[in-house]
Amino acid sequence: MKVTTERFKTIALEELANARTQKFLQILPKTLSARRQAAYASFPDPQAAHRYGAAIRADAVARLPELLERFEKNALDNGAKVFWASDAQAANDYIVNLAHAQGVRYVTKGKSMITEELGLNDQLRDSGIIPWETDLGEFIAQLLDRPPFHIVGPAINIPVEQICDIFMQKGVLDAPTLDPVALGLAARLFLRDKFRDLHMGITGVNIAVADTGTVINVENEGNIRFNKSSARTLVCVMSLEKVVPTMADALHMLRVLCRSATGQSAGAYISMDSGPKKSAEIDGPEELHIIVLDNGRSALYADPQTREALRCIRCGACLNACPVYGKVGGYPYGWAYSGPMGQILTPALRGLADSSDLIRACTLCHRCKTICPAGIDHPELLLYYRAKDVQADPLLKGHGAGSAEQLAHRVFALIAGHVLYWRLLTKGVRMITDRFADGPVIHKIARLAPGWFHSRDLPALARKSFHERWREKEHVTDGGAHAKKGSTLD
Amino acid sequence: MPDTRQSILNRLKAAPSCPVAQRPQMPPFRERSMDAAQLIETFVARVAAQGGVTECISQSALFESMAALLAQEGVTRLMLTPDSLLEPRQWIAWGQTNGIEVMTPSDFPDRTEYTQAVFDRVQAGLTGVDFAVAESGTLVLAHDASQARLVSLAPLLHIAVVPATRIVPVYESAIEKLYTLTRRPSQVTFITGPSMTADIQATPFKGMHGPRKLVVFLLDACAGHQPS
Ligand code: SF4
Repeated sequence: MKVTTERFKTIALEELANARTQKFLQILPKTLSARRQAAYASFPDPQAAHRYGAAIRADAVARLPELLERFEKNALDNGAKVFWASDAQAANDYIVNLAHAQGVRYVTKGKSMITEELGLNDQLRDSGIIPWETDLGEFIAQLLDRPPFHIVGPAINIPVEQICDIFMQKGVLDAPTLDPVALGLAARLFLRDKFRDLHMGITGVNIAVADTGTVINVENEGNIRFNKSSARTLVCVMSLEKVVPTMADALHMLRVLCRSATGQSAGAYISMDSGPKKSAEIDGPEELHIIVLDNGRSALYADPQTREALRCIRCGACLNACPVYGKVGGYPYGWAYSGPMGQILTPALRGLADSSDLIRACTLCHRCKTICPAGIDHPELLLYYRAKDVQADPLLKGHGAGSAEQLAHRVFALIAGHVLYWRLLTKGVRMITDRFADGPVIHKIARLAPGWFHSRDLPALARKSFHERWREKEHVTDGGAHAKKGSTLD
Repeated sequence: MPDTRQSILNRLKAAPSCPVAQRPQMPPFRERSMDAAQLIETFVARVAAQGGVTECISQSALFESMAALLAQEGVTRLMLTPDSLLEPRQWIAWGQTNGIEVMTPSDFPDRTEYTQAVFDRVQAGLTGVDFAVAESGTLVLAHDASQARLVSLAPLLHIAVVPATRIVPVYESAIEKLYTLTRRPSQVTFITGPSMTADIQATPFKGMHGPRKLVVFLLDACAGHQPS
């Protein structure tokens, strides 16, 4: 998957002009938000449930190293193999080598953002192993080589005509049809063959449990269960922040995750694996490999602010709440993670080099923060990234402010620090703005800051400044003591 | 490899620790204070909400109801996983007199043949459950030698036999029993309704990869055992 984060604006403009994208954006986020809200109402005290989930995530992130060690110990006791991958390359190499050692020609995959983060499919393909995405939406997105449009519906915006074409081309479909259900069932049949003769399956992990060494997945289609049941070898890839302390914590997180993601009280299937199958069991994996992926996370953990991004459980609720996502959809974000979730995760994991527009594509409306079951303060974090960007933060690879911007700030600081300069500046500015004022507002000032004026007006400046009016008032009331005090004001 | 592990853990441990606020009180559950009848009612409603079907019958009517369901669904080949209520020999014998071929995973000499049968030969999977959870209408299956994973997944129809006594209020009630100091099932599955998707043009349909239909025979749940 190509990373296109630096083309945020270009792709956003394309998507704004795309009628189909706009049609789906009018329906999908609103429907999912409404469903989420209805599902939350099934909690006796929705706010308490919400807060408790956020507390679990705060706790988990704070105790990360200890929980990971406990998770590993229990997973090993269960008979799983645990591999710690420092970066995407290490994780991909491990999987490719495993596939070669087992002599497989193809693998199937459950929907997982993390393998998109790894770029695993490309690596497998380059090594001669065919990766089959098995979630219907991911399967379509994969055939079309598209990033996910929405975390819950990765290909929900793709027109049936296009799905039909690609299915015909790839031999999924025998005869053309535009019926969504018939298309889905064709994919079912096609992938069923892959599942039946499956040797190796790969899934992500929604939650890992430190106390029991268990990995948990949530889904609606059943493809993840096939990956975990039919395969002889199962690889579960988890980013290291997925671990929670106890099974009880996991159960509560499942409640808020399912409600936040799809508005269900439970996804159709939740599977919890503690080790490979036991010898007397007829199905299930003979080997279970759990990959604990770092990929920059342990480094960003050093920064208590950026660390907050690790609380995310990838529910997608913030996408549905976001006014920006609601206009531009998932493509502009340009990587595995879209919406506010992507805006906080992508800079943390990839640095700020490509994400200037990403961290600024936010109105700071706070809707994501309110809705987030993990308790993340996205706007705060985005402001932090913006500050780090202009400060040229080395860890986050910030750009630093341009020389013109730096000069402007220095000049402004000089003027604002001296009474006389300041009075001259305000006089001068008023003369200029008066020329462009259109009644009480200013729509533009010559060619100055067209970007700023593009979406907003400036109120015209008042006839007189506060100080001028104050001084006049003193003349009228003529209080000598006041005059002295007043003059110290400026 | 141990180096990578250690350096990741070292970096995490070297980071400044941030104080976390005390956890708030675990929020309450309605289901915990429900009586048996309310739990049953809640369970049935939640199964339906997620697209499953529940039939309340008496245990003595199980064979008869099963025959009716299989006839209606056109099922002639069935795989079952044994349960205290699903004794294989009894069901195989019943199948022979009713024109239904009944098999179990242990009938097959190896995994490959079993896999072929459960994918391609049988039209329905029949299982018991370890627990049924009222809070979301969820069936809980702990997979072990007698509860094969694919029987409740690969066939288009999944039939689950649930005695009303196995209904518990919340997930915790089931999990506490299944995970003990000495036992961790290799896999536990929560099943809530049939397999589904809405990935193409937001058009919902059932039976994407797993069963298209989930039928729960709830035994001895209704006063007088009237089929609902
Ligand atoms: S940031 Fe919060 S709301 Fe957004 S996906 Fe992550 S957990 Fe969900």
